Amino acid sequence: MIAALFRRTIAANRIRLVACLIGLAVWGAVLPLVYAGFGKTIGSFIRNSNNPLMEQFASFGGGDLFSLPGAMALGFIHPIAIAILGVMVVGYPILSIVGERQRGTLEVLLARPISRHTLFLVLFGVGALSLALLIGVQLAASVLSAQLSGVGDELDLSYVPLVWGMGWLLAMALMSVAFAASVSFDRVMPALGVTLVFVLVSYLLEVVGSIWPSAAWVSDFSLFHYVRTKELLHGHLNAFDISLLGGVLVIAFAYSWVVFPRRDIAAPS
Amino acid sequence: MARPDPVAPEIGAGGSVLRTSHLGKHYPVGSWPARRGAPVRALEALDIDVRQGEIFGFLGPNGAGKSTTIRILLGFLHPTSGSASVLGHDVVHDGISIRRKVGYLPGGIALYDSMTGTALLDYLAELYGRSAPLRASLIERLELSEADLKRPVRDYSRGMRQKIGIIQALQHDPELAILDEPTEGLDPLMQHAFLSLLDERRQAGRTVFFSSHVLSEVERVCDRVAIIRSGRLVALAPVATLLAHRRRHVEARVEGAMPQLEGVPGVSAVVVEDGLLRCDLEGDVGPFLAALSGHTVRDLTIEPARLEEAFLEYYAPDAERAP
Repeated sequence: MIAALFRRTIAANRIRLVACLIGLAVWGAVLPLVYAGFGKTIGSFIRNSNNPLMEQFASFGGGDLFSLPGAMALGFIHPIAIAILGVMVVGYPILSIVGERQRGTLEVLLARPISRHTLFLVLFGVGALSLALLIGVQLAASVLSAQLSGVGDELDLSYVPLVWGMGWLLAMALMSVAFAASVSFDRVMPALGVTLVFVLVSYLLEVVGSIWPSAAWVSDFSLFHYVRTKELLHGHLNAFDISLLGGVLVIAFAYSWVVFPRRDIAAPS
Repeated sequence: MARPDPVAPEIGAGGSVLRTSHLGKHYPVGSWPARRGAPVRALEALDIDVRQGEIFGFLGPNGAGKSTTIRILLGFLHPTSGSASVLGHDVVHDGISIRRKVGYLPGGIALYDSMTGTALLDYLAELYGRSAPLRASLIERLELSEADLKRPVRDYSRGMRQKIGIIQALQHDPELAILDEPTEGLDPLMQHAFLSLLDERRQAGRTVFFSSHVLSEVERVCDRVAIIRSGRLVALAPVATLLAHRRRHVEARVEGAMPQLEGVPGVSAVVVEDGLLRCDLEGDVGPFLAALSGHTVRDLTIEPARLEEAFLEYYAPDAERAP
């Protein structure tokens, strides 16, 4: 029964999952290529300009094009990566609960002997696996691209799993928030709106804090700030970062766990 | 020790398969934080009792509380008062045990559009963890072809979707079928086939609880009906009893002196016009026929009582319903 639900959830999301995998693989390969081709030139140009503002502005979200770890960090925080990952981080949880509720298919599913906890666990599990795969593919593409571009020796491969783990933890925390919104509403738009506001505000705080020195403190309020890709690729793992992202994940998960079975399933629209 | 038959219905006290006791559901008005005023009373102190092996009709106009009741029985909604049990299990605490033995057709069923009919039926049967012994016969009776079932559901007409909905609800031979407006979208021939299927369910000892506002079908297949209005039960009786107490319309062409109908039990609204006598007749026809005896009656029409009239009477404003 659970296996059937699991298979069906994977099948229902396979097209968007494959599209995201391809997108992130391509994107993951691009920035190491750009770094290998132009990074050092751009880096020396900016440093020689003696304009600290320009250097600061080039350090977008903790990433840059002046080093391979910087390029990979930029790849993680770049809007393109966030948008692609957002399909599964935000779109999938919203569509799989409140979307199905609005369409009416959730009640067809829950008319079977499946508890809402079981359904939630299966959906969450599929999401967790998908995110692990997506982030893994982006990283693998970056590493492969760096190797093929001849800059692979600038990277200590033993630290790459740290980036994978922290990237996954961030994506899971955001997905948990999306699930929490998904179980809280009867219609897609409010759930999607709340989740997007949370994710976009968090993202904006990190971007603003990273490019505007006077507002650097605002990035402390962003979840994105706690995946310090460049530092991770140098082996610096911060326990507080893990605790914070893990805490958000656990709280949002626990909220969904408690609320989902207790909410009325409204009639479909 | 012998293990119990996994498909044997677990019946509550008094042979009832489904029982509600003062079941109520209230909704807040507006959404947080702007909730205001008294809550909407979607269901108020509903007491019904469905017995094993009967077809139970649940009647009411749109918004009367039919779907709310069904959604509570299946655990989609939580009651705000009272209790309900299905096959001996409490709807709030033992929903999974209930849903294991129930087949459910939602009103205006939504299906997974990208799946083929066969894949969808396989999937939904697999989620029950039971085989689907009735699927082949249901497909045949509802005239779905192999080619139809190989097409994606998105290509189906409304009637075909409804057929798939009926099959998914009944294919695993549930002890109790809960069907919300099951004939919606079916053509008259298919409606006939569907009602025959319900009859066979009854003969097999299974129970059917279905909501409808198509009264002719309720009249044809149901053993008992409950009528709800504005969330309240206004009648619960065997169909035959309801019909027996309905007024029939009588027309008699009489030559010569008109019969004296005043005071005849069950006769009301007597109108005489050019030798044509019109009246309403309720209950036993004997006294009315006795009053006609001795008069020259050239023609007599007693329009059979229809459940529609019973229904309309129950739904008419109170002032109009007064005798």
